[in-house]
Amino acid sequence: MRAPLFMAAASLVVLAAGAPLVAHHAFAAEFDGTKPVTLTGTVTKMDWINPHAWLHMDVKGPDGKVESWMVEGGAPNALLRRGWNRRSVPPGTVVTVEGFRAKDGSTRASGGAVTLPDGRKLFIGASPDAPGEGK
Amino acid sequence: MRTRTRLSLALAAALVALALAAAAAQNQNGEGSAEWTPPRTPDGQPDLQGIWTSYTATPFEVPDASDNPALYSGDPDGTGRGTGPSSFLNDTIDRKLTKGRSLVVDPPNGRVPIMSWAEERRTYKLLHIQDHWENHTAWERCITRGVPGGIFPTGYGAGYQILQGPGYVAIVYEMIHEARIIPLDGRPHAGSSIRLWNGDSRGRWEGDTLVVDITNYNDKGSLATNAASQRVRAIPQSEALHVVERFTRVDENTIDYEATIEDPKVFTAPWRVAMPLHREPDYQIFEYACHEGNLAIPNTLSAGRARDKAGATRRTP
Repeated sequence: MRAPLFMAAASLVVLAAGAPLVAHHAFAAEFDGTKPVTLTGTVTKMDWINPHAWLHMDVKGPDGKVESWMVEGGAPNALLRRGWNRRSVPPGTVVTVEGFRAKDGSTRASGGAVTLPDGRKLFIGASPDAPGEGK
Repeated sequence: MRTRTRLSLALAAALVALALAAAAAQNQNGEGSAEWTPPRTPDGQPDLQGIWTSYTATPFEVPDASDNPALYSGDPDGTGRGTGPSSFLNDTIDRKLTKGRSLVVDPPNGRVPIMSWAEERRTYKLLHIQDHWENHTAWERCITRGVPGGIFPTGYGAGYQILQGPGYVAIVYEMIHEARIIPLDGRPHAGSSIRLWNGDSRGRWEGDTLVVDITNYNDKGSLATNAASQRVRAIPQSEALHVVERFTRVDENTIDYEATIEDPKVFTAPWRVAMPLHREPDYQIFEYACHEGNLAIPNTLSAGRARDKAGATRRTP
């Protein structure tokens, strides 16, 4: 078991070093890798726009107040190849998004895994240099 | 007459020998086939038409201990990059890609001979992207990925459609949805007062190879714009930049692409990139209306202003 594990780890390192980065911009310039956020809320809109798609959602805070969040995703062409399509998150869908908060303190985040109502997960991320997406 | 016929025969034999030698040389490189000749367009050009992609697993340069990948990816503090694996595919690793030593093939050490002032300017700009929109490359500003930089690999949106008509080759770039119209009629370059982000392209056929000569650049752009180009990202281009691209279709599904780059104000010597373009008939090129969703610039600048308000010190290289 040890050898395959080591091989798997080694190939991950190679991927991290060699794979061209996907994002149009630098994760760290906009988002805070030390501020992870998990948002559960209702999708209001998915913008299929370049260079980054944006998922808009209403999230109810612990005080009952609803905040509008914008979650940044990859380019539409990249998302389509990962299994997204326009029916993935129609308005009204309740999703849970893992991401990282914007450095300017606004209700924006860089998205990662998106959990759909049936438990399936889709990756929306634009930034493979975000924590946990080291590839 | 007889002498002329003999001369013609000798010339034809010499041309055949040259073609065979060229084909043999290609075979030694493991690409192309002596039997394979590219199809022709109705007007007789070698046919390069189709949808091609430049995805690759090969690094741009041969890595060196002095490199600073975190800086080139726009994360100089290294705070963004994590270590956890991801089970999700992206556009790049969803392909069976071969990995070579480097796309830079000349000089043989695989390192671009960049002048130190140009490296210093790149480093300053990448360290200060939160301070001014001009510190971002033309790619992040949705202007252009440049020529030849627009064909250098990236993680998504690396689709190209080549179209040919009598006297012209057109290349539609997926990223930034640019289109290059390259005339083949031997017309001279534009006058020296005309300065363009992507220069002025003039094409010609050398055998089955499309050779494109590019001059008349402005000094606003960058030789390469995205992190996959590693150390060359955000290296400035000067008005003295001169690029020669070569497109050779070596088999049904492969174009060998080369770009020779000389800019005596930026590089100490000319250098050359070589990489395959892969035919992907099923690849769909999507509209890339870059400004529509480009919040990267305002978000980056607002993050910088939040940092200033919090009293954090600005970076000084």
